[in-house]
Amino acid sequence: MSLRRDGRLGAVWILILIVLPFIAAIIALGIGRMSISPGEVFDVLRAALAGKHAESELIEKTVMQLRLPRIILACLVGAGLSVSGCAFQSLFANPLATPDTLGVASGAAFGAALGILLGFDLIGIQLMGLAMGSFAVALTWLAGSGKDRGGLSYIVLSGIMIGSLFSALISFVKFAADAESQLPAITYWLMGGLDKANYRTLSLGAPVIVAGVVLFMLIRWRMNLLPLSDDEAKASGVNIRLLRGITVVAATAVTASCVTMCGQVGWVGLLIPHMCRMLFGNNHLSIVPASVSFGAVFMIIVDTMARSISAAEIPVSILTAMIGAPFFIILMRRSGGWRI
Amino acid sequence: MSLLRIESGSFAYKNGPQILKDINIEVEPGEILAVLGPNGAGKTTLLRCMMDMLHWQSGRSLLDGEDIRSIPASKLWRRMAYVPQARSAAVSYTAFQTVLLGRSSRIGAFSAPSGEDMKVAERVMDRLGISHLADKPCYAISGGELQMVLIARAMAAEPEILVLDEPESNLDFKNQLIVLDAMTALAAEGVACIFNTHYPAHALQRAGKALMLSKDGRSIFGDTTSVVTEENIRRAFGVDALIGEVETPHNIMKNVVAVGISGEDQAKQQEIPVSDKDETILASITVIMRSNDRADLINKAFREYNHLLIGRMGLPHRRSEKYIISVMLEGPASDIEALSHRLGLIPDISVKTTYE
Repeated sequence: MSLRRDGRLGAVWILILIVLPFIAAIIALGIGRMSISPGEVFDVLRAALAGKHAESELIEKTVMQLRLPRIILACLVGAGLSVSGCAFQSLFANPLATPDTLGVASGAAFGAALGILLGFDLIGIQLMGLAMGSFAVALTWLAGSGKDRGGLSYIVLSGIMIGSLFSALISFVKFAADAESQLPAITYWLMGGLDKANYRTLSLGAPVIVAGVVLFMLIRWRMNLLPLSDDEAKASGVNIRLLRGITVVAATAVTASCVTMCGQVGWVGLLIPHMCRMLFGNNHLSIVPASVSFGAVFMIIVDTMARSISAAEIPVSILTAMIGAPFFIILMRRSGGWRI
Repeated sequence: MSLLRIESGSFAYKNGPQILKDINIEVEPGEILAVLGPNGAGKTTLLRCMMDMLHWQSGRSLLDGEDIRSIPASKLWRRMAYVPQARSAAVSYTAFQTVLLGRSSRIGAFSAPSGEDMKVAERVMDRLGISHLADKPCYAISGGELQMVLIARAMAAEPEILVLDEPESNLDFKNQLIVLDAMTALAAEGVACIFNTHYPAHALQRAGKALMLSKDGRSIFGDTTSVVTEENIRRAFGVDALIGEVETPHNIMKNVVAVGISGEDQAKQQEIPVSDKDETILASITVIMRSNDRADLINKAFREYNHLLIGRMGLPHRRSEKYIISVMLEGPASDIEALSHRLGLIPDISVKTTYE
């Protein structure tokens, strides 16, 4: 499974990347308070596809109504966050640029919290998240990218500033929220969790994420131009401003959609793209599909753990950090760092 | 009509002094133009304006007579390619993937490089002798190797004009030669090369034309031998330099030795010394071609200076497949020197001139 010179994935890897999320999903469908064997899961899915009912109504309801939407959400959020993390890293030619470090996630979280405070419905909350996420990344870009775009720390520093600004605003929203009903909702939501998943939430957030992921898949070779310096990029003959613009809008929209559906899930956007870069190099022909697939698998695993380790559900962001941080340090030390 | 021309280009940064004033240059296919000047004289700015990465304040750049600003980027960058300074280049990809990026203007937004693109990249790397680097990441190769990879990336666009920003800066002796030889070889195949350099000697040894910029915005453009002179170096750089000749078995190469920083009053002297080089003299030039590849370039040079020729003899040496050409010339010393210099820039031949 050695790397190909042109940066494409070999047939074996393509197969792995396609099959792995399905395997993870089928196993995850069986895990939970009620254990269901993969065979039974298959039966339910086959029956559902054929438009019939499975033998056991309880099993069918657990799989189709409780677990499946949640796993689809995990899949989308994992794929979306990691592919937009990958795009942000390349866009800013900075390994530390992720939805979290650029303030996008905080911005979107603030927007959503504000939406909850103002009593908006789900669409309103999502739109608020999207707007504030875009606003945050625009602020970070304005503050951090000047003449010296190559300056590694600039964009991340300003991202941290903007992020903390929006964190403060979130605290302000909490402060202003009604302590009886709104505050717990906001606090719990901020910790991140996929337990609110149902087909209605999915139908709102999924199209944006799917569209973003598909777009990145389509332009993935051209994304190779993103880390180039300005003059190099111009000399490629490609409209680099348009490419950067599309990338930042798409990555922000995907991140904001993820955040509004399941709160601030950290680490995915940093960890997964780096893992892919370490495995496949920096060519987007391979790291974009790899990020999508591994992001989905990672999120399915983490969410399954979150809902099945203990009787009470553990917020998923706690788990991503607890798994992510040590795993990331091991990867970093093994590979001796990275370059973008 | 020239391949590339700048018509009275002027430029100043916001709130800054006028750094480029009334620049006029012309470059033909296969020519090498060296841009010289002290730090801060605007060498890189000139290249960036020329390629429309910065916009001329007044004046314009013309490609085949057409204003560069009116040519769509994807078309322009198939004809022109840019080699940035190695230190400002992105280095995250392998050498091969970096070279493939040079094909961007020919690859659609939603597609990936085709087999044909791959072949071009392989061919270019092979020609520049860097195929062995293909699978190494660019941050893990040496500065000289990276410079060659960047040249390969530019050549992958199959351009007619190659613009190089200080290609031999920060390189050791050998790598400088490798880079300059690569440029000379590309020019011999018809690519026009424009390069910035800190070394007047490199201009004399490699470039047929030169543009010398001074800090006060003035510039001189013309044949290298008439631009890179001791007097002009003193005025542009404030350095007293001597231009000498070093004889090699094949060639006579010009070299520039800086002997000291010129005094204030001297640097301010502006009058141009009267040239005593228009005196008519006799000379002979002997050329040995080590292969037949460069015959066209040699004939072209002789055709251009046809008025000097009073006799010509060509001798093929069949056994070794080498050719000896000997010409007798009569004319102004400066013209004969220009022809001799022109021939000296052609790779793979030996040239020597004997003056009366």
